[in-house]
Amino acid sequence: MTEPMPQFASPSPATPPPPSRGLRAFAGALAAVAGVVLLAGVGLAISHSVGAAEERLLTPTAEAPKIAVAAEAEVAYCTPKFKQVLERVLHSCGLATGAERRGCKPADVKSFASISDDDFNALFAPLEGRGGVVMFDSGKDELDDAAKKLLEERWFERKGARYFFVVARASKTGTVDKNRALSHRRANSVMFFLQQIAKDPEIEEKVGLLWLGNEFAQLSKGYCSWPSSREKDKCTEESINRSAFVSWVDCRL
Amino acid sequence: MTGPIRRVWAAVALAGALLGLTFATTSTLDYAEHLDRGLHDLHCSVIPGMPATSAAEACRAAMYSPYSAVLKTSLWGGVPISLFGQGAFVFFAAFALYLLISGPRAPRSARWFFAATGVTPLLVSLVMLGEICRVCLGIYLSSALLAVAAVLAARPVAEPGGSAPHRRIPAWVASLLWLAALGGSTLAPSLVYAARAPDQRPYLTRCGALKLAGDENGALLHLTTSRSIQPATLFEDPLCPTCRAFHQRLVTEGVMDKLDIRLVMFPLDSECNWMLDEPLHPGACMVARAVLCGAGQARAVLDWAYDEQDHVARAGKAGKDTLRALLRQRWGDELVKCVDARATQTRLNDNLRFAVSNDIPVSTPQMYLGTRRVCDEDTDLGLLFALKELAPEVLK
Repeated sequence: MTEPMPQFASPSPATPPPPSRGLRAFAGALAAVAGVVLLAGVGLAISHSVGAAEERLLTPTAEAPKIAVAAEAEVAYCTPKFKQVLERVLHSCGLATGAERRGCKPADVKSFASISDDDFNALFAPLEGRGGVVMFDSGKDELDDAAKKLLEERWFERKGARYFFVVARASKTGTVDKNRALSHRRANSVMFFLQQIAKDPEIEEKVGLLWLGNEFAQLSKGYCSWPSSREKDKCTEESINRSAFVSWVDCRL
Repeated sequence: MTGPIRRVWAAVALAGALLGLTFATTSTLDYAEHLDRGLHDLHCSVIPGMPATSAAEACRAAMYSPYSAVLKTSLWGGVPISLFGQGAFVFFAAFALYLLISGPRAPRSARWFFAATGVTPLLVSLVMLGEICRVCLGIYLSSALLAVAAVLAARPVAEPGGSAPHRRIPAWVASLLWLAALGGSTLAPSLVYAARAPDQRPYLTRCGALKLAGDENGALLHLTTSRSIQPATLFEDPLCPTCRAFHQRLVTEGVMDKLDIRLVMFPLDSECNWMLDEPLHPGACMVARAVLCGAGQARAVLDWAYDEQDHVARAGKAGKDTLRALLRQRWGDELVKCVDARATQTRLNDNLRFAVSNDIPVSTPQMYLGTRRVCDEDTDLGLLFALKELAPEVLK
């Protein structure tokens, strides 16, 4: 390909021809050098950046940010004291293992918990919003509809909890043995109902059963304000202990 | 047009090429920084030299997009397109410098070559890059500037001092040489990058595994197609933007349908997820229940949640009633009844408990191929490379 001839002007004989070839050669050389220098700079920048990344990969200096691992719930009331009692009671008598008899009678609870009645109840005080009191008729262990409804609501509010506590009691009427047996039957009534609704083959590893008769850690009238299956009925210190307190416990052991 | 104006256009082309080189270099360096498998801030501004920022979701989405790099199955993260941009812009800067200095003495063939090739960065930008980010926008603008200036600099001109004289090298030979130089310059940065990139294979299998394969209560969703060949477990939150991007990557790459998916709903919303103190994605629990209620349409509900995520997330923030109304409007009363049912709440709780049983990190998305966890960095930048190494059949 050739360049077109100039169309509007001819170089004057007095004017020397422009140094086109020299200028173009100079421009070409300068551009080539600039291109090579730029390309080398780019290459060095890439090499340095990739090399630095490799260095960080091989010898990480910054500690990797810690990411939380999915775990069961652990809320504020899970104090060391609370967990200590929980663990003793659960592992000593609350949960069944294999063919062993499950549950825990009053003397055992008192012994394993190694704690006074008031302190035992105080530990459970933070569960007011999470748990509920299932009320029974005097001398009876059958669950009424309201009790079943409350149990169902509480059971399916599990969220991140690991253990479900059932703490059954009996009123002061009658002998110690009779009340011990009655509170045991109440605990079992709750357990049987939970087995029905949960359909969970591992339920035995979740539910801790305690029955206290009328011997240990009886509830005061103050507990009448807790959510219960008979909120409209008159609540007395006698009636609040004809009950099974139930709650999921949001603590890790 | 006169000679000085032609020089002006050459200068503009030079400026465009240098600006494009700056943006492409910024993009490459951001990309290369991630080769350490860490998460880094990105430069995401049309103003060169602005600092990197963590609020650069559009740029991050562009970086993870299929258009950001080539050869992704051969090299971890692939070879970023910006490397080719760097090489090309270097060539165009040098060529523009040549035209600037030689002015009216530049051979016409050189001007035409520059005009013809100077538009290619713009064409590549428009065709290849599907995602808009600000750095990409910078490259677009630079490419446009270069293209316009290159074309204008090539227009016929009446030269007062006479035209360029006859060349010793024929124009077609010169054009071939320039083309070869352009090709070499374009490829050179990518060759340096590929040669220096670290071997990531030893790191692919270091991110743990599922402890328990079982799902005793049958709470998890199963998403399979007739083409599913690779068992996988995905932990997802339907209102998590990263999950959406990951999901869309799997779909775009054609991998989703090849996976035999066990889907674990893991909403990062404290309404149902006790592992959070406050909701990261308000409403995610309800949308997760909607996905569980989808049954045969579960994938469609999940796709909808991702496609309409901004809208759904706004409804989630507005409150349960607003979100419920949105779900009812799209999926009907039956699904909403199911969403509010106790059995569904229990099922979602079982999904979360599956995460607890397996000690998985509290983050989404997560992918397990079989029981092996795919590292987070291998679910975004290194996805195709990781799949090629860990489950090559899904890429066939």
